[in-house]
Amino acid sequence: MTAVAALVQVLGGLALAPLLPGTVQSLKARLQGRRGPSPLQPYRELRRLWGKSAADPQPTTLLYRLAPCLVAAATVLALLLVPIAGRAPDWSLGNDALVLVGLLALGRFALSLASWDTGSGFALMGSGRDLTFAVFAEPLLLLTIVVAALPAASTDLVAMGAAAGGSGPWGEPAHWCGAAAFALVVLVETGRQPIDNPDTHLELTMIHEGPLLEYAGRDLALLEWSAAARHWIVLVLAVELFGPHWGGFWEQLGWLALGLVVLCAALAATETAQAKMRILRAPGLMAGGCALALVGLASALVGGLV
Amino acid sequence: MGAAETAAVLGAVVLIVGTVGPLVRLPTAPALGLQAIGVGLAGAAGVAVLCGAAPIGAGFHGGLAPALGVDGLSGFFLATIALVALPALAYGREYLRGAPGERWLVALGGLFLLSLGGVVAARDASIFLAAWELMTLAPAAAILVRRTDPEVRHVVFVYLAVTHLGGTGVWIAMLTLAHYGALADPGALAGQGAAVQTLVIVGALIGFGTKAGLMPLHAWLPRAHPVAPSHLSALMSGVMVKVAIYGLIRVFFQWAAPVPLWAGLVLLAVGLLSALGGVLFALVQRDLKRLLAFSSVENVGIVALGLGAATVFLWEGDRTWAAIAFAAALLHVLNHAVFKSLLFLAAGSFERAVGSLDLDRLGGLLRRMPWTGAAFLLGAAAIAGVPPLNGFVSEWLTLQALVHVALGPSLGTGLAGGVAAAGLAATAAIALFCFVKAAGLALLGEPRRPESAVATEPGAAMRLAPVFLAGCCIALAAVPGLLLPALVKLAPGAPAMAAHPGLEVPGTGSLPAPWLLLGIVVLTAVAWRLRGERRAAPVPAWACGQRVEPALGWTSAGFTKPLVLVLQAVLRPEREVEVTKRGGLVASVSYRGEVPHRFDTHLYRPLRDRALAVAATVRRIQSGSVRAYAAYLLVLVLAMLVLLRVGALG
Repeated sequence: MTAVAALVQVLGGLALAPLLPGTVQSLKARLQGRRGPSPLQPYRELRRLWGKSAADPQPTTLLYRLAPCLVAAATVLALLLVPIAGRAPDWSLGNDALVLVGLLALGRFALSLASWDTGSGFALMGSGRDLTFAVFAEPLLLLTIVVAALPAASTDLVAMGAAAGGSGPWGEPAHWCGAAAFALVVLVETGRQPIDNPDTHLELTMIHEGPLLEYAGRDLALLEWSAAARHWIVLVLAVELFGPHWGGFWEQLGWLALGLVVLCAALAATETAQAKMRILRAPGLMAGGCALALVGLASALVGGLV
Repeated sequence: MGAAETAAVLGAVVLIVGTVGPLVRLPTAPALGLQAIGVGLAGAAGVAVLCGAAPIGAGFHGGLAPALGVDGLSGFFLATIALVALPALAYGREYLRGAPGERWLVALGGLFLLSLGGVVAARDASIFLAAWELMTLAPAAAILVRRTDPEVRHVVFVYLAVTHLGGTGVWIAMLTLAHYGALADPGALAGQGAAVQTLVIVGALIGFGTKAGLMPLHAWLPRAHPVAPSHLSALMSGVMVKVAIYGLIRVFFQWAAPVPLWAGLVLLAVGLLSALGGVLFALVQRDLKRLLAFSSVENVGIVALGLGAATVFLWEGDRTWAAIAFAAALLHVLNHAVFKSLLFLAAGSFERAVGSLDLDRLGGLLRRMPWTGAAFLLGAAAIAGVPPLNGFVSEWLTLQALVHVALGPSLGTGLAGGVAAAGLAATAAIALFCFVKAAGLALLGEPRRPESAVATEPGAAMRLAPVFLAGCCIALAAVPGLLLPALVKLAPGAPAMAAHPGLEVPGTGSLPAPWLLLGIVVLTAVAWRLRGERRAAPVPAWACGQRVEPALGWTSAGFTKPLVLVLQAVLRPEREVEVTKRGGLVASVSYRGEVPHRFDTHLYRPLRDRALAVAATVRRIQSGSVRAYAAYLLVLVLAMLVLLRVGALG
């Protein structure tokens, strides 16, 4: 069964990840009364980009061309840390939640440096905003991890996922607070409304898209895939840490699939109902999430409801 | 005499010869060589003791008779000093060549190293305090030899004033400890009641905290570190502030142990303030060396967070996690020493090549200075705390310690741990922001001024020193776990820990550092192969059809603006735009914007004004009249006689 988990981890992460943003876009179009693209659209775009020639903006160094590879490498490593249905194959990489946070930061670091390398104003505007959001998103993510780590007293993702299974955690206010705060983490890390608008084609409003502006061809394909894989990582984590799941491996795998579909639908609904927030307002929202997680932590420390 | 002892004694003697040498007509190059050999020998002795050799020399004793010795903790700090000093001395050899006052700078550098070693090897209060004061004075003198402009003289005055005023705390703490014999016998203070212990802890926090640059006692640090010669800046930021941490560790975990919970919580609070405040001010700096100095405040804050967590764990009785938190702090001490000295040395090379360290004037230096530039880039990645480099390793361990404080049993410490952990996560994110900015502005893009376009690499020694330190960063990133058991052993009452290459810590998902490093390298290479080497025709960057000119280049202020705007209420940026119009047309626009360092205006200035006012009042009794002074003497004698009479003088 661990072999199946490994298969889902690698193949699912690599191949199924683009399906998630595709599904969100497709559902969103339906909700807005349009026919919209098929959920497979991201695959078509990746195939198209893979065949195209790369552009080489001047002046850049090796760093600019290396950045997409580094982002993809960090994302693949992050994929390998996330257990599937409570199982984690032993890649000798550990399963630590804080290492995962670090790997996501590595991608941000590489891409922001690449923005400086082109010196393009739009790229730097986007990465400056992205890094500003990260200043509030990282404490939020960390606090949700702390709340999720409470039952297991460990930041090992396997132990955390196991402790979050069953119906026990749902009696704890901490779990609810953590789940609500993690919902914000999902919005931030996937770059979705109301934090960022993934559909924008206006340079001045770009956040996560900004640093990608100069890239083309396979470089852009790697970056687009990494963005899709980030959807996979945070949504799988959301289900494993805060979603309902119990039973054996196969039941949990079912819960995972169901959870992913539900979360995609929820993202689509949020994007339909919510307009993008003013950039300077978003940190306030994340600070609110931090406060909520701290309330959850406090409630657990005083012994919960029991 | 064992080998380690011989090496330590020989090292000290050689270092003294290398220090005195330049003053008696020994050329500076061999003198620096002797200093390097001496420091290297002392560092090797430190490593030997750290790795399990018997302690060298005397143990701590309560009297004032001079004594020297090296135990595990001293050994660790000696090794750290040596690791930074060796490349700094090699760098200094080329950096100082032909500089005015070269002999004095070399001698003072040697004296500085001697005093650093003296503090960590002192085994009694008198040597400790003497070396402590020398450690403050030697770099001040070196700055004054190098720079004579009035501004720098004022900076040195502020440095000496703040560190000496704060330093009284060290004197109070050390003399009190010596008085009660607590240096030799850690239990001695426990019998003296809480008041004495509180005095020692507060004195140590203020005294060592000032020297370490903990906020709000940091005002001298971002002024003094940038004006020193670069190889001394590296030593000041890399090692001197760490020696203050050494003093804090001795007081908190040995001499005044066990310290009460409030001391740990104060350390957590001060650490959090320093980490967040330091990195925020670093972010908004335009001068590279000043940015690096503020970032030292941040990193000392991170170390203090680790030590605070260790104190809280000890109070809770969790010895395993106390030892891990303690080791995390030490590991960060070492890591920060390595990458901060790297960054300062590289900054010195940039300054020499371009003639300025204003970030908005640099740019494109990675292509002009590939060796120094690549080393700086690696150091920036390490200090930004991105995996798989060494900064991430120690920050990960510190963060784990704080997370486990948060998971702890009681509400108060748990919430404190949660807030501290969230604060450290924010610190890491801001540090990433800050060093993306610094590396981006200095190394990447087009040269922003003509001076940057003609920059060239310095000579071999100045090039190799940062590269060597970059190698140390990678080595520390690859196998931190081999070092961890030795560090854990230094913690009070620590359990034994097996050595793994990665970090196998209970209650975490473990950080297999070597595999992570390998994974990143291999996967990046795979992605690079997949991507292929197809290159299209070069195109300009997209600017809505405009030509991208240096004048359109993004600046330091522009990049950080979103965060500064969000934190407007805290940072209170100042901004002035002046538009000059002539005949209805805009003739020129001048812009000035900065984030003022409000600690100066809101904390230090009132303190200084109050002190000067008190001094002015007191001065009134200094009339200059002999009769008045005779009257003072008479009053004093009478008062003492009265006191004697009532028995108040015993």
